[in-house]
Amino acid sequence: MNAADLMNLVISAFLLAGVYAAMSVGMTIIYGVMKIVNLAHAGFLMLGAYFVYELYERFGIDPLLGVVLAFPTFFLLGMTVHWLLVRRIPTSDQPTLPSLLLLFGLWLILQNLAYLIWGNSDRSILTPRTLSVFHLGRITFPMVQLVVFGAAVASLTGLEFVLHKTWFGKAVRALMQNSEAGKIVGVKVERTARVSFGVGIAFAGAAGGLLAMMYSFSPDFGGLFLLRAFVIIVLGGLESFTGIAIGALILALVETFSILILPANYQPAIAFSLLVVALVVLPQGVAGLWSRRRRLA
Amino acid sequence: MKARQNISGSRKILSALGEVVLAVLTLLPLGNLSPNTIRLLFVTLVWVTVSVAWNLVGGFGGQISFGFAVFYGLGAYTAALAINGGINPVLSFVLAALVAMVASLLVGLPTFRLRGPYFAIATIGVSEAVRVLMTNFSLTGGASGYRIMEKGVFRQLDHYYAALILALLAVTVSIYIRRSGFGLALVAIREDEDAASDLGVNPFRAKLLAHAIAAALTGTAGGVYARYAAFIHPQGVFAFNIGVAILLMPIIGGVGTIWGPVIGAVVYGFVNEELVASFPQLHLLLYGTLLVLIVLFEPEGVVGLFRKGYPLLARIRRAHAVHS
Repeated sequence: MNAADLMNLVISAFLLAGVYAAMSVGMTIIYGVMKIVNLAHAGFLMLGAYFVYELYERFGIDPLLGVVLAFPTFFLLGMTVHWLLVRRIPTSDQPTLPSLLLLFGLWLILQNLAYLIWGNSDRSILTPRTLSVFHLGRITFPMVQLVVFGAAVASLTGLEFVLHKTWFGKAVRALMQNSEAGKIVGVKVERTARVSFGVGIAFAGAAGGLLAMMYSFSPDFGGLFLLRAFVIIVLGGLESFTGIAIGALILALVETFSILILPANYQPAIAFSLLVVALVVLPQGVAGLWSRRRRLA
Repeated sequence: MKARQNISGSRKILSALGEVVLAVLTLLPLGNLSPNTIRLLFVTLVWVTVSVAWNLVGGFGGQISFGFAVFYGLGAYTAALAINGGINPVLSFVLAALVAMVASLLVGLPTFRLRGPYFAIATIGVSEAVRVLMTNFSLTGGASGYRIMEKGVFRQLDHYYAALILALLAVTVSIYIRRSGFGLALVAIREDEDAASDLGVNPFRAKLLAHAIAAALTGTAGGVYARYAAFIHPQGVFAFNIGVAILLMPIIGGVGTIWGPVIGAVVYGFVNEELVASFPQLHLLLYGTLLVLIVLFEPEGVVGLFRKGYPLLARIRRAHAVHS
């Protein structure tokens, strides 16, 4: 393997990390504010993929625009799901049995509705962009990955802005840090939770659309990405946005470079092994490293 | 006071009912039942075992696992390899239990130390990972499956009684645990882990032990099933559906109770038979809907309905007595 090959792998890992981060951030928001692990995340990723696909096939809407449209659509969908189902289960400071079961049930429902509507054959979105590449010396960038990376980074930047500059964002961060103190200073928990759930689902839908531009998909689509999202947020320490970026990069690097030594169909085992390693070595995630150091200092 | 009487009354009825059901199940196959009916009973008894096993960790201990298909599948494959290697079936089932227990430690050791969603998350991961590994594992034929060659005549009733004995064992273990200090420790962990460990319970050890016992029972059930089916493949015994089914049954019946998982397994066993035959695609959709509805409206499942219904029934009976 020469330097250019190595560089290609590193770059494609970085590009992959972008979409991985976008895919995981929705789960972190929901977990942070409500302490609910959104198992239905996989279902919304899959729906996002079909949403972008249908817009492209039926109305010829560019997938990238489809992803932009996915944000408001899935935001409303998420708020509806919260209003209909999620707000009815008891809240707690750690994930409860009802919340896991409810969202797992919702995942089953979404997945099998999709089977009824779209059947179980694999679909993919093919645009002129899909196969084109961009050369920079001996290093090649696949065009789709560049576009997807750009979109992922743009959406994450937007989220960062909302979280730091708006009242809603501050309420979200307050609830994530200390929900009791948040209530005391007047954060409306129920409304913040509903909007956060909407934002979380919006990111799931949009990330699903981005993933659909790179991979083929079926109603089973979300399952493997759900595991990856878990690994990333566990690596990131569950509630840290910087942690997610690092977690996404770690997973993307490990997956990309494992291709050199392991056959591709062992990939899910890689994500799981990384999860176990993370739980044993870094139970607080990479973010825990800083806080531990800060406490020592 | 009245409520207490009602509960102990309902408990008496349930245990009497249990004895009757047991007697019927033991004698039933001696009558003239069709092989298909016996097969259905056999499968239901296997479900009862895994459902009761799941409830030990998920119900008593409050640790939800989505990955019991791993133990079921590993048990099935271990027993299959052992039987083909000429080991006697009972010993093969013991081996299946041991392998499943070891696997339970691999999941439990890294995750039970931590609180929060780690265990539930890891169980989803491990079931995906193990299915992939087994699909590519050449010793057992990979994705194309593995056949069990057992010498001698196939006698369905042997299999039936093996499943019956195993189901009885599972229920006995469940009752014993629920009444022991260990069971109380598990419930305490479910309700409040901090308080439990303040009172001297070691949550890590208790969760690990419950998980291992449940895995052993589930692995044995997988082995009993594999010996009956004589052919197993990763998309069957390790399937996502199996993992869903194992968690659905105790929830239908009443999670955290002794008889709920049994009732849930019976309901599931019979309903699933009809549903899968008539709606191969729709049944998971229905299970998802059922899960959502139970969580929202009757978290205690059938047992919860029964508990609510019993005082009501008693009141109606009393009202009738006054009228007549």
